[in-house]
Amino acid sequence: MGDLGDKKGIGNLDNPGLPYDYSQREYGTVPLDDKRARFQWVSEVAYKNVHRIVARGYDTTELVEEGYGVTDVLFVDFQARIPTTEEDKMLNYVMILALEDGLSMPVAISRLVAQSKTFLTQACGASILAFGHAYGAYSAFGNMLLDSLEAGQAQGLSIEQIAQGIVKEHLGSESLGVSDLMLKDPAAKRMIARAEKLGVAGTYVELIKAIAKAAQEASDTPVDIDMLGAMGSVMMDLGFSPEATWAILAVTRSFAAGAHYIEEVERGSYQKLGQPLTPKECYDGQADRPVPPLADRDKHAKSALCKDLDQWNKAEQDRKKVLGSGYSIHEEIEDPSKKTGIKSVGKKL
Amino acid sequence: MDREPPLERKTSISYKTEEKTVLRGYDLSELAEEGYSFYDAMFVLFQDRLPTEPEEKMLKYEMGVFLEHSMSPSAVGAIGVSIGRPNLPCAIAASITTFGGVHGPGAAHGYMMKKYLKRAHDEGKTVDEMAKILVDEYLDNKKPVMGMGQPQHIDSDPRAEPIHLKQEELELNGVYLQMQRAIEKHFHARRKAEGRSYVGVNVVGAGNTALCDIGFAPNAAWCIGSVCRGFSCAAHALFNMKRGRAWGASRREPMVQVIDLSMIKYVGPEDRVVPKQEDRQEYAKKQKEEGEYKQWVI
Repeated sequence: MGDLGDKKGIGNLDNPGLPYDYSQREYGTVPLDDKRARFQWVSEVAYKNVHRIVARGYDTTELVEEGYGVTDVLFVDFQARIPTTEEDKMLNYVMILALEDGLSMPVAISRLVAQSKTFLTQACGASILAFGHAYGAYSAFGNMLLDSLEAGQAQGLSIEQIAQGIVKEHLGSESLGVSDLMLKDPAAKRMIARAEKLGVAGTYVELIKAIAKAAQEASDTPVDIDMLGAMGSVMMDLGFSPEATWAILAVTRSFAAGAHYIEEVERGSYQKLGQPLTPKECYDGQADRPVPPLADRDKHAKSALCKDLDQWNKAEQDRKKVLGSGYSIHEEIEDPSKKTGIKSVGKKL
Repeated sequence: MDREPPLERKTSISYKTEEKTVLRGYDLSELAEEGYSFYDAMFVLFQDRLPTEPEEKMLKYEMGVFLEHSMSPSAVGAIGVSIGRPNLPCAIAASITTFGGVHGPGAAHGYMMKKYLKRAHDEGKTVDEMAKILVDEYLDNKKPVMGMGQPQHIDSDPRAEPIHLKQEELELNGVYLQMQRAIEKHFHARRKAEGRSYVGVNVVGAGNTALCDIGFAPNAAWCIGSVCRGFSCAAHALFNMKRGRAWGASRREPMVQVIDLSMIKYVGPEDRVVPKQEDRQEYAKKQKEEGEYKQWVI
């Protein structure tokens, strides 16, 4: 590529305040870097060559020939180990319960995507995006347990004391794992009982039971271990990290999202752009008002500019009244990757 | 607490009350307690039935062998998304959506098989005769025969032939396997006659055939394969998020990173001066007249 620095263009972006001479900046791509090793896809999970696919050292075809299945390969991929038969049975149990949840959000999203006449895989992928830090909050839940255990054990606290601390801080949170959702459905308690019967229940099941007990004492209304608490604690006792749990159970639900996509297509019809109406009864915004003539813009327009902190503070409060503006949402500034439960970013390989 | 579903729908798949979650009539908790496998539950989900033991074993084999495939478009998609450090589900969702017309086109292969099987039935031809017609029609029209060939496993996909053999071992060799085997026979014969190299069956040709023979519709089969791969892509994304360098461009890494500036090779129009606004109309008209730009239109 040629250097156009001397040719007449817009010059230094027509602004003498620019701290460098933009017109002299070079064009052209960066030459290949031969001082460092070339790029390669680095993985400790799996590799393949022309003849084999190998996960954590195990040939995957040999694994299935030997009678291992998906649940076993999940242990291989996420934990680099073959599970005991009890662990495998427990994961199988958890995944059956995670497969279907009726018309909840992952399926609703899948069905909405289906209405747009897409590939099935788009709907399945979209369903996974429903898993956040409220619905299917396995990362938030698991990391809460991990952090509290680590801090509590460092202080020499008992499981009961750690549980009380968690309840004090998180009672009512969507990611506590204890709520009023499973008071009539025994599935969560049966899962915990099955983990104990199979001998795979450990510290995390002990902790969620203690959390439930502490929450029952602290809450004015009945609460008990819910599916998040049961599945999350059992998965962690099986050795899965909070993020692995999040991923495995979200993907498991996506199979059912695929079936719901299919049913939506089979039963329903597609939606055209502009087809859905939003009835006025759903609207509680500004009353209908005339659009002022463009020439009168200055009479009607209001500047957002705040010249001092008092103005700014008042504007911040006023703007909270505009729903959809984002002014009512407050987020702590922190490493955003920690929201997924990742503890470090950029760790050198 | 509002427990109304976010979407009102009539569905024959499942319902959920305060007491239980029911899939096609079966209480999920009861299914798990009784010792049924996750694979059994997949039959209930997609086919409204419990499978025979060989069918359950076949699905276990197929899903187990398809789950991990190291660096394929799906894993690369997951890793690519993960380097921006979004929430993990975004990377997994991306990996599943890479399954399209070329990467794991399970549904298309299934529909191809169904189309030609129906023709055989309607035209009174044998499966073998129709398989030859299929191969000839595809190759005469210079279209790839779905289910054949894999760009990385050029000496035969390590998963494919073993899936065929497992299907036969489990005595699940139905009409789809007959069709697929016949397609492979005529495909190999034609390529050999034309002096072309051997191209083996791939995991879609083998795996999807097995899924069809155990009763999964093309889209259900596609769902099973694509979503199953999401598990391993999550592991690849997670490895990169926990152990890798975010952004993928650091010059402090000993290895050139995936989007290091030196990885960019540009083959577009030469660098050129941005025209002044006062010259714009004349410049733009000349550009249209000369038409050189057309070679770059995509």
